Amino acid sequence: MKTESKFLRYGIPVIVLLIGAGFMIYGATDGEAFAVLKKAVAICMECIGLG
Amino acid sequence: MKEIILWLFGLEEEALSDPTTVAGIIASFVVIAACLAVFITLIVKGRYKINRFGNKVWQRTKLITQGTWFILTNSFMVGWFKGTIYQGKLKYMCVPGMNCYSCPGAWGACPIGAMQAIFDEFDATKSWYDPETHTLVQPPLYWVAFYIIGFIMIVGALCGRFICGLLCPFGWVQDLLYKIPVKKLKLPRDERRINASKHPGAVRFFLGLDRALRYFKYAFLVIMVIFLPLIVSANPWFCKYVCPSGMLIGGIPLMSMNESLAAQAASLTLLKMSILVSLLVISVFLYRPFCRYICPLGALYSLFNPISLYKYGIDDSKCNRCKGCHACANACPMGIDPVKTPNNPECIRCGTCNATCPQKAIHSGFKFKTADGSAIRTRKNKNN
Ligand code: SF4
Ligand code: SF4
Ligand code: SF4
Repeated sequence: MKTESKFLRYGIPVIVLLIGAGFMIYGATDGEAFAVLKKAVAICMECIGLG
Repeated sequence: MKEIILWLFGLEEEALSDPTTVAGIIASFVVIAACLAVFITLIVKGRYKINRFGNKVWQRTKLITQGTWFILTNSFMVGWFKGTIYQGKLKYMCVPGMNCYSCPGAWGACPIGAMQAIFDEFDATKSWYDPETHTLVQPPLYWVAFYIIGFIMIVGALCGRFICGLLCPFGWVQDLLYKIPVKKLKLPRDERRINASKHPGAVRFFLGLDRALRYFKYAFLVIMVIFLPLIVSANPWFCKYVCPSGMLIGGIPLMSMNESLAAQAASLTLLKMSILVSLLVISVFLYRPFCRYICPLGALYSLFNPISLYKYGIDDSKCNRCKGCHACANACPMGIDPVKTPNNPECIRCGTCNATCPQKAIHSGFKFKTADGSAIRTRKNKNN
């Protein structure tokens, strides 16, 4: 039976998770999070089919 | 306390003099408490042990979970009462599913909308006027949306498309419509194993079409969410021309409560309404057409299914496949054979196979072992 090694099963996702956390922190400090907030707090006319 | 509530709800002090706003705040707390009570009850009753009570109970549990999650994440009742949207700081964060931030009740941002919003930011210092085309050229400020990619990597690495199965509002709506008892367009299980000579040409045609169309969601992701907003013009292209979720939980409620918005309806509204209605009608006959063929968020999460911490696995020592059992593959609404590919990118982690298996041979979770302590297979098995 083919089973995954511990590294494939847990190591890879944990590495991906940590890289993701790093990306999020970098993006947030680079002003991306603010761009998201700015867009999300006003009614998005494109989303609701008026833009 | 008052300051915390005002901060949380994104309101100014004067807003509290409006009785509708106050009623909205109180209603939000009541709804959140009710939703949490539902989740706690389901956990205490052991309903999340997917194969414990059989598929019927699991399907009910799943629908209740999806609905409760939708209500919980869209429980800013001030918005529902007044026809406005939430404007507080929680909108820095995304919710994991396809949940439009223009839904009156939404507390968080939609990852796909947010990604386009980042791509639509332009660098004013580098803008220049092109006299030939008479246009102002505005280069993007961000070429990579690290904030959203990071978020999707975290969610994906944790649970892959589990979000699609249980925590996405538009997935839930399609699931509800598929419950309508009419004859379904069901394709035979596991398309790759179809024996050409045994199936009529029409079936083979639809199988081939289904398989080809499933790649379209990656095209929607690359073209409408990334390429067009970055290169062509600073517009949320996917939101503007396709997204049915924005129309359903944002456009329809806002326009029905807000006359000035309804008055602005135009040809674009008609286009988006037509897309929404078509998808909803198809959902009655075909399981989750939007998730299968269009959704860019599902496309992103699908990449993580094979590597996520939360996985599906098969206990081959219990599985009756060798005796010809195909109960799981026949039950899978996405047309996957979980025994063959338990972590297929198309699997939305809906749990149906797990709840259906008469042998309780399908496992899902972060860690699993067979009765004799050996590891459960999470990888492909080409022999089955
Ligand atoms: S594919 Fe998209 S719409 Fe469907 S459940 Fe997943 S995130 Fe939601
Ligand atoms: S339903 Fe269970 S026993 Fe039957 S093939 Fe699937 S995993 Fe094996
Ligand atoms: S393989 Fe199982 S969990 Fe995945 S979509 Fe099919 S029935 Fe749902």
